[in-house]
Amino acid sequence: MSVTAVVVRLKLSLLRNGLRQSGGRRAAYVASAVVALLFAALQLVGLIALRGHAHADALVVVLAAVLGLGWAVMPLFFPGGDETLDPTRLVMLPLRPRPLVRALLAASLVGIGPLFTLLLLTGSVIAVAHGTAAGVVAVLAVPAALLLCVALARAVAAANIRLLTSRRGRDLAVLSGLVIAVGAQVVNFGAQRLGSAGLGQLDPVADVLRWVPPGAAVGAVQSVSDGSYGAAAGQLLLCALASAALVVVWARSLERLMTAPDGSTLRAAEPSGRERRSARGWERLLPAGRTGTVMGRSLRYVWRDPKTKAAWVTSLAIGLIVPVFNAVQGTGTVYFACFAAGMLGIQMYNQFGQDTSAFWMVAMTISSSRDALVELRARALALLVITLPYATLVTVLTTALLGSWVRLPEVLGLSFALLGAMLATGAWTSARFPYSIPQEGHKNVAPGQAGLAWISIFGGMVSAALLCSPVIAVTIWLHAGADADAFGWLLLPGGAAYGAALTVLGLRLAAPRTAARLPEILAAVSKG
Amino acid sequence: MTEGITAAGPVAVRVQGLWKRFGQQVAVAGIDLELPAGRFIGLVGPNGAGKTTTLSMVTGLLRPDQGSVEVVGHDVWRDPVSVKARIGVLPEGLRLFERLSGGELLAYTGRLRGLPGPEVDRRAAQLFDVLDLAGARHKLVVDYSTGMRKKIGLAAALLHNPEVLFLDEPFEGVDPVSAQTIRGVLERYTASGATVVFSSHVMELVESLCDWVAVMAAGRIRVQGTLAEVRGEAPSLQQAFLQLVGASGRDAGSDLDWLGGGAGR
Repeated sequence: MSVTAVVVRLKLSLLRNGLRQSGGRRAAYVASAVVALLFAALQLVGLIALRGHAHADALVVVLAAVLGLGWAVMPLFFPGGDETLDPTRLVMLPLRPRPLVRALLAASLVGIGPLFTLLLLTGSVIAVAHGTAAGVVAVLAVPAALLLCVALARAVAAANIRLLTSRRGRDLAVLSGLVIAVGAQVVNFGAQRLGSAGLGQLDPVADVLRWVPPGAAVGAVQSVSDGSYGAAAGQLLLCALASAALVVVWARSLERLMTAPDGSTLRAAEPSGRERRSARGWERLLPAGRTGTVMGRSLRYVWRDPKTKAAWVTSLAIGLIVPVFNAVQGTGTVYFACFAAGMLGIQMYNQFGQDTSAFWMVAMTISSSRDALVELRARALALLVITLPYATLVTVLTTALLGSWVRLPEVLGLSFALLGAMLATGAWTSARFPYSIPQEGHKNVAPGQAGLAWISIFGGMVSAALLCSPVIAVTIWLHAGADADAFGWLLLPGGAAYGAALTVLGLRLAAPRTAARLPEILAAVSKG
Repeated sequence: MTEGITAAGPVAVRVQGLWKRFGQQVAVAGIDLELPAGRFIGLVGPNGAGKTTTLSMVTGLLRPDQGSVEVVGHDVWRDPVSVKARIGVLPEGLRLFERLSGGELLAYTGRLRGLPGPEVDRRAAQLFDVLDLAGARHKLVVDYSTGMRKKIGLAAALLHNPEVLFLDEPFEGVDPVSAQTIRGVLERYTASGATVVFSSHVMELVESLCDWVAVMAAGRIRVQGTLAEVRGEAPSLQQAFLQLVGASGRDAGSDLDWLGGGAGR
């Protein structure tokens, strides 16, 4: 029996074994498969119904590109998803690379994912194929695109297998939920936009993507339907070249994996060493003493700690998406730009919980209110290094999109006041209501501390809004008196000064509490 | 009884009437300790005796319900400025800032302690060499093995040259080579007049390292004194310890008489 047949049978057994798990897991397995296939079937029907629609060609090209992207990132986020994706499991077997590549490629074509993709691709080509020639090209294009997707997934997985089985891979998995959440936001806004503005919006994107495999495969069918055979040949050729290149890359890394000794931790550590040597530069820009030391540590953690990074990326993404997307749709107001400051200010909350039980290292070096003040102030400064330019950028962008430059100073002033209020309440609740953040999994609160987290975040946000009310009141008063255009700019220095004053006050109130409650804070943040 | 024994020299740590309860559970039941300065001191006891709770309270990481702690003459809770500058701690069961590399962790700790930057880097480089961690300097602590974590924790505790060093289970899960390295560093450190207080339940280790021992069981101090005093008539510290905690009377021979011998069933 050939290697291909054996590996395909292995894949089929693995799929079948999915049904042999315990009751709950089997139900989940079957349900997810059914949902995926139903979804694909619905899409198939929808795509066929789109046949003849003016912008159908743009839609299917974008769809194919999204499918390709999905295949590329899937193995990174769900490394345990397909065990035949891990070639190191086959390392002890006496196999030659070439038959193995063929066998693994064939096995990859078996499963719900490929079936889902096949249905969507079929629907796509039916939507755009007009005439016999186009039909023939479509029969070529569907397998070509599917093969390309599968080869892409395999190449990405093989190139990153060392990463995926290491600690860094597990870190990445923590981020996967976040990518899906942010992706859902983008898709949501995109769908709304398409719904309101029509599929024509996709045309410029599709013009590029129809030359990028796997979009090019579907694009070729459309080109033939339009009668431009030269373009179609070019697009098919691109697909073929891309597939060949991916298979070669994959075969190379497979060969390397099968012959080189496993050194997963050593390999994973190498790039980080390089990263750190080059990181020395930015540290010199930080102030001396405790302030710079704490800032450096906080900023490193934004990048290196998966939980902190996930929280930051969520805040950055949502703080940008809500005001800017609303502005693009023409439904938002320029005041939505304050969202960025509010979302990023949340990062000041539960500062010590973000340290986990490593907070003892901080606690051992705080022996007075002064130490605590410097510690908290440095953390607030580290946050401002990112937040201040970002909130300004989002505000300017939102204003530009809405074209209401007159409002820019007052919205900036409001943003800064809100940021100051968030920093002040964040510092105070960090000292008063600390709670643990579990390091494993997607949970962000330790069992039994949900109440604390609620008090901390929502109480803090309500207080921050109340603290901002004077600035909001002045804004409303100016608008009511129709003086907003003449005096609105005063809100920029006013709001900034007010926010700064709030921050200073909040830090000064939080510092003695922190210094007096070190053991209690340590106990509260060590439960994760 | 302890007063007479320790009157010989200055006292590094003085604990009086220390209590800690967690709900209904009494973890530490009113202990008094006087640990002499310049010695290698072992705090021994079975699991759950209250060693970690005691060390956490002595180092200011856990607030006691009652009682007082003085380190080199300064009250831990009333004068934290004097105490925190003079002690180094390696706790058990608490994390380090694991997303820093070993080098960054020491740089961070030293600067947080207020040492000048170049001095921190100089000391860190030496500690890396002596503790045999030089190859792991740029590796993230999260990727360290247990032994490497203990060693980097020890380096962080030693960096500011403390007068008293508190180590909770420093040899737990450490291989013999790393253990020997840690021993060497600690012996050199106490030879210069500093005090090391460490907890362990490995008696052979305590016997070979310590010149002063405090035995703890069920939240109380059973006995404290020089190694010879604590050992008394018993042939080894292990025997003396088993007698002290009341475990030596239980001979396993009478039960499980069916076990062994290869007679089947």
